[in-house]
Amino acid sequence: MDTTFFIHLANGLAIGSSYVLIALGFTLIFGILDIIQLAHGEIYMLGAYCTYFLLELTGMSFFPALVVSAFVLAAVGLLLERILFRPLRTVPLLNLLLITIGLSIFLMNLANLLWTPEQRTIPTPYMLKTLHFLGLAITVQRVLVVVVSIIVMIAVILFIRRSRIGKAMRAVAQDKEGAAVAGININLVRYVTLAVGCGLASVAGSLVGPIYLVEPTMGATPVYKAFVIVILGGMGSVGGSIVGGLLLGVIETLSAAYISLALKDTVAFILMVLILWVRPAGLFGKILE
Amino acid sequence: MSSKKGIIYLLIIVLLFFLPTIIKDSYFLYMAILSGIFVILALSLNVIVGYAGQMSFCHSAFFGVGAYTSALLVMNLKFSFWLALPLAMVAALILAFIIGYPSLRLRGPYFAIVTVGCAEVVRSILYNWVDLTGGPMGLPKIPPPDPIRLGNLFTLTFNTRQSYYYLVLVFVLLTLFIIIKLMKSKAGRAFIAIREDEGFARSIGIDIKGYKILAFAISAIFAGMAGSLYAHYILFISPVSFTIAESINVILMVIIGGMGTMVGPIFGAILLTALPEVLRAVADYRMVLYGLLLMLVMIFLPGGLMAALRAVASLFSKGSGIAAKGGSIART
Repeated sequence: MDTTFFIHLANGLAIGSSYVLIALGFTLIFGILDIIQLAHGEIYMLGAYCTYFLLELTGMSFFPALVVSAFVLAAVGLLLERILFRPLRTVPLLNLLLITIGLSIFLMNLANLLWTPEQRTIPTPYMLKTLHFLGLAITVQRVLVVVVSIIVMIAVILFIRRSRIGKAMRAVAQDKEGAAVAGININLVRYVTLAVGCGLASVAGSLVGPIYLVEPTMGATPVYKAFVIVILGGMGSVGGSIVGGLLLGVIETLSAAYISLALKDTVAFILMVLILWVRPAGLFGKILE
Repeated sequence: MSSKKGIIYLLIIVLLFFLPTIIKDSYFLYMAILSGIFVILALSLNVIVGYAGQMSFCHSAFFGVGAYTSALLVMNLKFSFWLALPLAMVAALILAFIIGYPSLRLRGPYFAIVTVGCAEVVRSILYNWVDLTGGPMGLPKIPPPDPIRLGNLFTLTFNTRQSYYYLVLVFVLLTLFIIIKLMKSKAGRAFIAIREDEGFARSIGIDIKGYKILAFAISAIFAGMAGSLYAHYILFISPVSFTIAESINVILMVIIGGMGTMVGPIFGAILLTALPEVLRAVADYRMVLYGLLLMLVMIFLPGGLMAALRAVASLFSKGSGIAAKGGSIART
């Protein structure tokens, strides 16, 4: 069997796991706050920059920087909830969509002003090392993306299923009023959701930063891919996001390798339109009238 | 429409026709023509966004397909501009069916995201199909519209700014006329019913999907027309002019002016075409300000300038109780 195929497959899984992390936060925020957070890609971008600056300026090593960035962006999430999303709780969904687009344009161009459009790479030793596995050579960083993502995914699933606040999150996602009547602190649940969601996006940015380039516009397409993944896997479904994300990563990498490089960023959208054509009800019925 | 209002509108139209003879500045005319093209875009987007209540991000795709269709037909197949323009509209219409048929079943925000995807797919095709579209290099040297000859009596040429101004003005008025007529028809009332309450509209027998597709198609046709006018005026097109950012720009025009009003998008289009000139001093911060502006308008002024004007107007007419009340009933 052709080894390059497996290399593409491995790369696809690596990029797919980073999509999963972005999509998880995106779907949690949608399910619990009823917000289509189109500035989620900018949170991912800020996470990558945060790790970059921690490594460059303080000489921190990669993993502590990844954790610190996640906490910094979680704090940004709390701030967003406090100054923007909570006051706008009663605003219609479509208006909120435009507000988050405004936020996305604002953050992207602010980053552009502050840090210039210059593309940067996060300097980690893991990019230079390769791992040999069944005759394949894969950079350690890509393996790290997959391994760390899996650990984080398991942690998120355990958190949502087992912890008290995780159960409260599920309750709010199912029925907001019912949850409020049952005495669940909705404000706290919203805070936790944004903190977790933004933290996850930051981890994705930090992990992918060394492989791809860190630049102000890096969040522009992943956020739409997160949306496609959510359509593929089911809104609010953690398992669906994981399967959908990995699937998209693999399809994207393979079509870029075997069909056309130009397809890399468009295949997600083509897939979405195709699904809607072939299965008018979508892969799940909830998004329809 | 009261006769007083009619006279005001007539005066504005007459003024617009004499504008190039009053202000002869060439740069001013350039901006006026560009504003006119964006007025067509904003008016047409308003049909699907403002009246039918479906947020669409692929207006840039219709604009782009119109521009490329028209330019390619004229350059490669030697079509006349006057045939290429309607064909550009047809191309946009076909695209509207391809996008709208599967996606207009979706509820608001999902439809919006699918249109984002479609806009991106179209941009990517324009960018990557180098053999046909020239890819990132774009299409240079697009000819201006060919002159109209009426026997040997006279010839109308469109290679000066003045003449192009009149061409665009005629198309703006035509667009406005057709959209006003449309909104006064049964279809127009159906659009508004769908926007206000889809479930209720369905229950009284309105064909939701049919009317949504109609609104989307009409919106696309005029965007295609604007694309053709743009291509044969700027004489150079590239995928950069047809990105999602352009869609957001037109959405901003509609929102800032006032969604679902006829005058609002016109104001919005002129304002936002002129704004970059005003903001030239702070060019670096332009996009940051854009993002901020979009957020602030959506938070504090979701009805746009028209709503603000109305609020101010009702403030002044508060003294005469009955008149103000009558006004508010007429508005709702």
